[in-house]
Amino acid sequence: MEKQHVFDQIPDYLDGNLSKSEASVFEKHVENCADCQKELEEMQAFLNVMDKEVHTPSDKLKANFEAALEQEKQHQRKVVQLKSKSSSNWTGNVLKIAASIALLVASFQMGSLFQQRKVDASIAQLQDETNQMKQTAMLSLMENQSASKRIQGVNYIEEFERPDEAIIQALANRLLYDENDNVRMTAFEALAKFTSSETVKNTLIEALENEKNPSIQVAVIQALVQIQEKKAAEPMKKLLDKEDTQPFIKDQIKAVLPSLT
Amino acid sequence: MRKFTFILMALFIGTIAQAQSDYTKSLDGIKWVKINSTSDIVVKSHSSNELLIKSAQKIETPEKAKGLKLVGEGGTDNTNVGFSVVQDGSNLIVHNLNKNNKAEIYLPKNQNVSVKTTWNGDISIDGFSGEIEANSELNGSINITNVNGPITANSLNGGLNIVFGNVKQDLPISLYSTNGSVDVSLPSSTPANITLSTWNGNVYTDFDIKAEEKDGMKSVLGRNINASINGGGVKISMKSTNGNMYLRKK
Repeated sequence: MEKQHVFDQIPDYLDGNLSKSEASVFEKHVENCADCQKELEEMQAFLNVMDKEVHTPSDKLKANFEAALEQEKQHQRKVVQLKSKSSSNWTGNVLKIAASIALLVASFQMGSLFQQRKVDASIAQLQDETNQMKQTAMLSLMENQSASKRIQGVNYIEEFERPDEAIIQALANRLLYDENDNVRMTAFEALAKFTSSETVKNTLIEALENEKNPSIQVAVIQALVQIQEKKAAEPMKKLLDKEDTQPFIKDQIKAVLPSLT
Repeated sequence: MRKFTFILMALFIGTIAQAQSDYTKSLDGIKWVKINSTSDIVVKSHSSNELLIKSAQKIETPEKAKGLKLVGEGGTDNTNVGFSVVQDGSNLIVHNLNKNNKAEIYLPKNQNVSVKTTWNGDISIDGFSGEIEANSELNGSINITNVNGPITANSLNGGLNIVFGNVKQDLPISLYSTNGSVDVSLPSSTPANITLSTWNGNVYTDFDIKAEEKDGMKSVLGRNINASINGGGVKISMKSTNGNMYLRKK
């Protein structure tokens, strides 16, 4: 009978996977067979090495680690979580929305305010430039040979709310020295709006002394009486004494003179 | 043959006679024609670019003035029609020297004309599209008809009577009288800003114009009426201190 080796059963035997009957047959065979015995010993020695090599962390190691972790946790600063109150307070929400809208509006307003300032500044500059141009146009028109153009120039006064001295002086020159009666009358009408100016007052008094056109005379008298210009009394008396003064002018002067003297 | 010679002679004499009563001068380079007169003056338009003076009546030179020149305020007669015509830069100064001479003056339609009369001279201007200045310094009236340019007219005792054609330009129109009335006829479609002002007179118009009542704001110049018609446009200022104002639709 051929000798039956049990090499292939060695791993199962060592792992305890053989049944009792199989295990006793295996042990009997190993006692009698030197080869199998040697093989079993070698296998056993190999498995023992394997067992030694693979360390499983012991319970103590685990406990040490846990303790160290716990310690570390305690040493670290506590991170406080801000728990957002999931509040059901609707007024708070409305306020939040209102506040954000207010912020939006405010920033928009600020933006538009700054923008507006810029625009205002450039408008003011433009206004200044156009006023300058208007003034130049006005002054040059008033020197034109055509009476109608001079009247147009004088009428430009409507464009100026506060005409400067140069314009007032140019209008005064028209009233005092223009050869055309219509231009002088228009210049008077323009100046009559600025009787608070000292230049205008003096111009009107001078016009009263020199003006020959009765329509302008009576208008100048009326303007001077309205501002109660006492200095106008003298030239009015002179007009009263003049022979060629129109009767209705004399009547007018007689009527207003007492209020000035 | 004798008849033919006679006709020729008559034509020749006629031409000489014509030449004696009319005066012409080219208006090249002339911007303004300024006419001064103490008597009535009539200014009309014609198609040629020259000044034409027609003496309305034969000038009667007194027997004693034979060989002498007429001398007046404006200079001496250099036209043989009783006028002095002098060029001053781009102005042509025309003086009517004869105080009793009624004359007609013809100028091109687009000429700028300035007419001034003293004493009793009436001014009559017809058919111009250029600028017109008319000034009657004492008793004369001013009649301006068929015009559409800018007008500046001023009178003391005479009335102003203005009839406009189509007013298409935008330079201001200024019509003032001290004691006379101001009577203006304007095409009803004229776009204009109108100022009517009178001291002692009344304003009559068939345009849709109303006097603005300003409480507590007494105008310096008495009653002022400002109105814009047809959307506003040319500035028309009418003023009479003691006369009435009439603004009519044409």
